[in-house]
Amino acid sequence: MTLETDLIRLGDLMLNDRGFVFDPNTGESYQVSATGLRCLRGLQRGATIEDLVADLVATHDVERITVRCDMDAFLWDLKQLGWL
Amino acid sequence: MNAQPYVAPTIRRVSQTTANPQRLGRVPVMDMIDGVPVARLIAEHGSPLFVFSESNLREKIRAARLAFEAVYPDVTFAWSYKTNYLNAICRVFHQEGSIAEVVSGFEYEKARHNGIPGHDIIFNGPWKSVESLRRAVAEGAMIQVDNRDEIVALARLAEEFQVPIEVGIRVHVDTGTHAVWSKFGFNADDGEALRMMAWTRENTRLKIRGIHCHVGTFMLDSGAYATAAKAVVELALAAEAAGGGLVEYLNLGGGFASHARLHGQYLPPEQATPSFDDYAGAICSTIKQLWPAASKLPKLYLETGRALVDEAGYLVSSVVAVKQRRMHDATAALAAYGKGGVATATVSSRRNAVVLDAGINILYTTAWYQPSIYPAGTSPAMTAAGMQPTTVYGCLCMNIDVIREEAALPVLKAGDAVVMHPVGAYNITQSMQFIAYRPAVVMIDPERRVHLIRRREVLEDVQGPEHMPDYLASTRQSTAAGGRLDP
Repeated sequence: MTLETDLIRLGDLMLNDRGFVFDPNTGESYQVSATGLRCLRGLQRGATIEDLVADLVATHDVERITVRCDMDAFLWDLKQLGWL
Repeated sequence: MNAQPYVAPTIRRVSQTTANPQRLGRVPVMDMIDGVPVARLIAEHGSPLFVFSESNLREKIRAARLAFEAVYPDVTFAWSYKTNYLNAICRVFHQEGSIAEVVSGFEYEKARHNGIPGHDIIFNGPWKSVESLRRAVAEGAMIQVDNRDEIVALARLAEEFQVPIEVGIRVHVDTGTHAVWSKFGFNADDGEALRMMAWTRENTRLKIRGIHCHVGTFMLDSGAYATAAKAVVELALAAEAAGGGLVEYLNLGGGFASHARLHGQYLPPEQATPSFDDYAGAICSTIKQLWPAASKLPKLYLETGRALVDEAGYLVSSVVAVKQRRMHDATAALAAYGKGGVATATVSSRRNAVVLDAGINILYTTAWYQPSIYPAGTSPAMTAAGMQPTTVYGCLCMNIDVIREEAALPVLKAGDAVVMHPVGAYNITQSMQFIAYRPAVVMIDPERRVHLIRRREVLEDVQGPEHMPDYLASTRQSTAAGGRLDP
């Protein structure tokens, strides 16, 4: 899958401020946590993984290693969905 | 900038098959038990920890007595030892006027140890050793005979002592609402019980003074007791008509439901569980209606256990690990709609999971009931994420060790404490030492003082009864087995 295709699929997602996500390509709906929403929006803007981690560490009461571990699991889920 | 509470980035498919997190509402918290902070209980007694509320025990037995004594002139409750035979628990019930109901020689010994005289012990159960029967006879216990072999054994003892022995006869009936507990006693529906009463009267020194019928457990339909009461009264009248005289007491056993929730139970316990008044009405009105007006009403014994002790018991436990569980069932459900194998199924079928430091070996009743699980504290991170469907695993190295398949919980992390409730019935007596030591048990008195009523197990408790053959005393590897010797 090309980067261009990835961005198209990510860009297609419809998000609201409560973390509700609609994927118009499959008709499926999702719920993301507040940090998940922050990451999805970051990815739609083209942020790198390091950008996302740094953003969460800077804005939340959490250790960097915890965010790295959680981010790995989150990105794995997004890959399973075909969004990355 | 103030740091926000952290919740891991997660994504879940919105599903109609599991609870939508947005609809699970606010996070209920149980940070105190009877006014004592859970954090303090853990700090002083460790985790996991069983906690009992003495106030709740007393409130329950008083409510039960009030319900029955208001509608019946002569009723006595017998504390069902097998439901929870921690001595401190038993003594609370004995202080409240309950006699003892035991189902083995071991429990009989416990009741005597707790100061209960033999004549205040109801001796039940499908197997009573001859030695335990001999002691029970000598001490005047109320033996409820279960089977023909027991009648014969008691008949021999009556000859040995050269005295008549007063007993009750246990029967089972079809109440139409529950599987018939035909394991216990004689059939009152097909004439077997009446025939055995006549045979016993005509062939032994046994005097049948009572009829005992325990219809089942966790009876959510109080009407079953009306059916049972009718059956035992009709049996009593038939036995009298056959020349045996009227029995002096009826024992309707136990089986009253607590506010636990069965697996698959739709209605919440607050709506599904009958009140003590419901049970009292079903039993007492039936007896009073059918008993001959010219005869004194029989004494009524009740042996309810679960409904009196379940809600007094809590299990405090701690999260030791957090997981994401893949739900294959959900994938299969999607496949039915032609979506099997598509990538969406993978993420949609994840569920939060936590591992606790307590397992099903001390929560035997989770095989039938779903304990409520509450976080013992709250944090901004918990409230920020709201409630999530969560699988709650126990600590055992066994795949079957699942305490709740799906409970609504906030996002928990290792170290967070939770409280499970109600767990006061059967979990202590049916718990098994397995893999880990069983936890301590404390009781909180009405003045909020915390008393240790069973300490946490230690190695000696487990291996104390073991015996090592001399030839295995050495840990050196046997040369005969072809192995090397330890240095």
